[in-house]
Amino acid sequence: MKLIPCPHCGNRAQAEFVYERTADSVVPLDAEPDAAVAALFARANPRGVEEEIWRHTYGCGSWMLIRRDRVSHAIEWVKPLGPEALP
Amino acid sequence: MTDVTIEQLGRAPLHVLELWGDPKAAAKRVAKALGHDLPKVGKAQGNVLRLSPTTWLVEGDVTAPKQTLGDGGALTPSGGGYERVRLSGPAWRSLLMEGGLFDAESPAFGIDSVVTTPIDHIAVTLRVESENACLAYVPASHAVDLLRFWQLSAGGLPR
Amino acid sequence: MNAATINFTFDGKALRARPGQTLAAALLDNGTKLVGRSFKYHRPRGILSAGVEEPNALVTVGTGGRTEPNTRATDLFVYEGLVATSQNRWPSLSSDLGSALQLVAKALPAGFYYKTFFGPPKLWLFYEKFIRRAAGLGPAPTEIDPDRYATRAAFCDVLVVGSGPAGLIAARDAVHAGKKVILVEQDAKLAPSLLRDPHEIESKPGAAWAEDVAAEIRANGGKVLTRTSASGLWDDQFICLSEKLVEPGQVPANGFTQRYWHVRAGEVVLATGVIERPLTFANNDRPGVMLSQAVRTYVNRFGVVPGQRVVVATTGDDAYLTAQALRDAGAEVVAVLDSRAAPAGQDSGFAVFNSAVPVTAKGGKNGVTALVANLGGTERTFACDLIAMSGGFTPLVHLHMQAGGKLDWDEAAQAFVPGASRWNVRTVGLAAEPAPAETVGATGVAKQAFVDFQNDVTVADLDLAWREGYRSVEHLKRYTTLGMATDQGKTGNMAALDRIARREGMTVPEAGLTTFRPPHTPVSMGALAGLATGEHAQPTRRPALYDLHAAKDPIWLNAGYWKRPRAYPVGAETLAQAGLREARAVRSSVGMCDVSTLAKFEVQGPDAVQYLERVCQTSVGKLAVGRGRYTFMAREDSLVFDDGTVWRLEENRFLLTSSTGGASRMATWLSYVRNHLCADLKVSLVCVQEHYAAIAVAGPKSSAVMAKLTGAESPRHMSVVDARIAGIPAWVMAASFSGERAFEVHFDAAHAEAVWNAIEAEGCTPYGLEAMELLRIEKGHMVVGPDIDGRLTAEELGLGKMVNKAGGWIGASTLHRPAFVDPLRKQFVGLEAIDGGSIPEGSMLVRWIGGEAEGHVTGSGLRVLEGGSIAIGHLKGGHKRHGEELYAYSPTRKQKAKVRVTSPHCYDPAGERYRD
Repeated sequence: MKLIPCPHCGNRAQAEFVYERTADSVVPLDAEPDAAVAALFARANPRGVEEEIWRHTYGCGSWMLIRRDRVSHAIEWVKPLGPEALP
Repeated sequence: MTDVTIEQLGRAPLHVLELWGDPKAAAKRVAKALGHDLPKVGKAQGNVLRLSPTTWLVEGDVTAPKQTLGDGGALTPSGGGYERVRLSGPAWRSLLMEGGLFDAESPAFGIDSVVTTPIDHIAVTLRVESENACLAYVPASHAVDLLRFWQLSAGGLPR
Repeated sequence: MNAATINFTFDGKALRARPGQTLAAALLDNGTKLVGRSFKYHRPRGILSAGVEEPNALVTVGTGGRTEPNTRATDLFVYEGLVATSQNRWPSLSSDLGSALQLVAKALPAGFYYKTFFGPPKLWLFYEKFIRRAAGLGPAPTEIDPDRYATRAAFCDVLVVGSGPAGLIAARDAVHAGKKVILVEQDAKLAPSLLRDPHEIESKPGAAWAEDVAAEIRANGGKVLTRTSASGLWDDQFICLSEKLVEPGQVPANGFTQRYWHVRAGEVVLATGVIERPLTFANNDRPGVMLSQAVRTYVNRFGVVPGQRVVVATTGDDAYLTAQALRDAGAEVVAVLDSRAAPAGQDSGFAVFNSAVPVTAKGGKNGVTALVANLGGTERTFACDLIAMSGGFTPLVHLHMQAGGKLDWDEAAQAFVPGASRWNVRTVGLAAEPAPAETVGATGVAKQAFVDFQNDVTVADLDLAWREGYRSVEHLKRYTTLGMATDQGKTGNMAALDRIARREGMTVPEAGLTTFRPPHTPVSMGALAGLATGEHAQPTRRPALYDLHAAKDPIWLNAGYWKRPRAYPVGAETLAQAGLREARAVRSSVGMCDVSTLAKFEVQGPDAVQYLERVCQTSVGKLAVGRGRYTFMAREDSLVFDDGTVWRLEENRFLLTSSTGGASRMATWLSYVRNHLCADLKVSLVCVQEHYAAIAVAGPKSSAVMAKLTGAESPRHMSVVDARIAGIPAWVMAASFSGERAFEVHFDAAHAEAVWNAIEAEGCTPYGLEAMELLRIEKGHMVVGPDIDGRLTAEELGLGKMVNKAGGWIGASTLHRPAFVDPLRKQFVGLEAIDGGSIPEGSMLVRWIGGEAEGHVTGSGLRVLEGGSIAIGHLKGGHKRHGEELYAYSPTRKQKAKVRVTSPHCYDPAGERYRD
């Protein structure tokens, strides 16, 4: 089980987190139909490094973007997502 | 030889405070009404626990903060959904390691620290009250299960 | 046997052991050589090793619910009253009928299993019975385990696996550096290698030195856990430990038998050591053929000399220590067979033969009697009652490799050693630097020379697989079952790789190694389950009114993790009778139902409408304060995945409800939308599912009941008012899921019982989910799961007219995909049985029996007052097929009914009953 560095809580067990989707499969509200379909059904899915959206669901509940090597599992960086938050 | 006491405290008036937009201004107003700053991530102060980057759990009366909140945020009643349980005695930290994922034995988890973490698969919010006690906010529907888990586990803690 | 103090039984025979002995040591001490029968051929087997790698001496321990099958006799410390039983034999260990299989061993070659699949199916069915009876391990216990298993987390800076000298020194160094340390040892004693080969360390006797180091670790806040096996190592130094608090089958004092640890370490130090390899020769699996270091362990640690006339066969130096130990203990070392041409300085006084290898062991179930050896080209037979063999040493690299570590090849030791680690893991001691040894190939008759003792894989099996084209070790492993037993091939894998490499004309590292997977040693199922057993196997969520329902002794339904009343039978009523009575009470009078488990969210803020109109496919902003509406939500692919109601409580305050089963999915989805798609909105979103209890009050008399309870006029359909019931503040929402005039009362769950009791006192009949199903199916209301299954659009569900024409909702941009205009997409319809009969739920809709499925029945019910089977379902192009006759057909349940396609709204389609 991996450790994931939550931007708010620090290193916490992977079991506290839920994977949502890859960053390139987010469909913006104003997406054109073709772009929306492409994001949903024609993702890059590379072998190796990918940016993913995770949530610290069973901890602080916050969302984050994780750049992760899907072969070695190494995490390059984590960025917070969501509305502006106080420290 | 149980070194931990598990005490069911029942429900309390609780509200979730969420700030949006420019949270600094609203936080300042709320702090004035509360008489202290809103606690940082992972901390509690007075009757207020930080739950998430944008939310706090406020125990007790919220009339004063509600008046100063304006349209900077909202208070949502939530107390019916939590059973409060106090774990006290020298082994409360040890008990939290049973079925847990979080290092409750770490010195960094000191007085007024707050964490939400699964215990026996149930997400529980913990507040360190003193070196001798910790308060747990347990989702009400899971309380019977978790109390059973704690009571059984308390009988088998390592020396 | 002087100091015998512990009584135990083996196959019912009363025996005595000395304290600190393993079962294997105690059996040898009692002269027991035959301990078990092999997996496939039922060959007599004894004790090979003195550790967890034991493939032969597997026994069943304990009685009743504490029975543990397949326990290694070498990994079990004898306790007073231990009951051990041999396995895989009938009628008894010494006269086993299954051993006749040895005569037909030719019929069970490598890949036998797979080959039978290609024959006629009937042949496989015949073989299967035969195989299942013949091959096997100990039977699983049939009674419930009465003991508890704890599951516990721990954190440390350094976790050291193995308490040999290398591990103890690594742990002590870490302690000196101020680190928090956990040291684990699978044996009952620290530094077992120092008990096998006693010597001084730092001017202290080895065992005493080990105890002193352990005391120092403990004194500095560290943990030293014996009888604890590190079973798996994963990312970021996450390691699982299985700690035996008592021995298998033993009654624990405080009820806990094992503790399963989840440890997160800053660094993991593997001081796991090595295990000795057997030599591969004919009948190398006979009782009395043992690993050399194991023999030394029994002599030096357990005070048991397993034979009096011993042949030592080796490929390296270590076995000479065994010869010496045997001689010191008074046994005769008949010969030392050394495979090397000129071993270094062996002026040992033993009869040493160089370039000498064992070929065939003689003897049977009562042990070996002689060894035929090849002495540099000439054969010679040595009479003996024990053969101690040493084929080199295999480093225990399992944990290193489980955590993604690479392996290097150590040519001098002829062994794989740990290479680069993926995580902060390092290996120290013999596991990193095994002693030099050479490899000798297999000798003797190939089909009697075993490489995998536990799974009965011989050299002949490997050769056959190779001839049949299995060249990759991963394929070969699966075809021959090599290394796939509970010992994971700890003793046998290297001999097999050597054989394949020789066959292929390549080196062992070129042949490669199969992947090691957790657990390193078997872990009890109970340890993985922890306290989650029986009715606690999964969490139970109790609604606030749980105790009140329980007092009525209802028929419960597990709805996800929730426990909800399905019906409240009166007297001898069946579920169907009670459900129908409750539903009729709603249709004709008034009923009440606990709907507290509904997902509920409070949405507040100046941008609440904007937010909700993205999530909901219906309009929300047009609602006046105090009004609510039915709504539904689509994913980005425009398919509806949930539905509910939305209520405008204040100008900028809404309550959104959705399905119970989809609650956590909806919570995640709402949060995702808020955080990713509209982080800039001024909106607060809080899940209040558990804060508000909710009770539905439904039926023609419900309005009068609510008026009386609240002291005010009841709100009209789809309106919400503030009220007090039994003094408790509540929202009374006029909404219906039954087809009747109905209300949902939402209030602080802390007061659930007071409100329920007040409503019930007005003569409302409590109804459960069974009645709710009958009522909503008759009315044509959908539920999330069967009806709203995430595969249909709003239009296809018959909700097209309610979709917000202004757009802006999630999914709008993909709605006009070409696939959605296919006229044969499924649509939501009603069904009624014609010619009587009952429509089977889940059945398929066909034009004729045997025809293609054109849809399926999602919910089956009946006309509550009049009777007659009705249903709802999905049907290709269904909206235009009302009136068509089909069959609802379930071939698996052998049920069918002739049906007519209708509107799903069978009851009061105009909604007149919602008005007072």
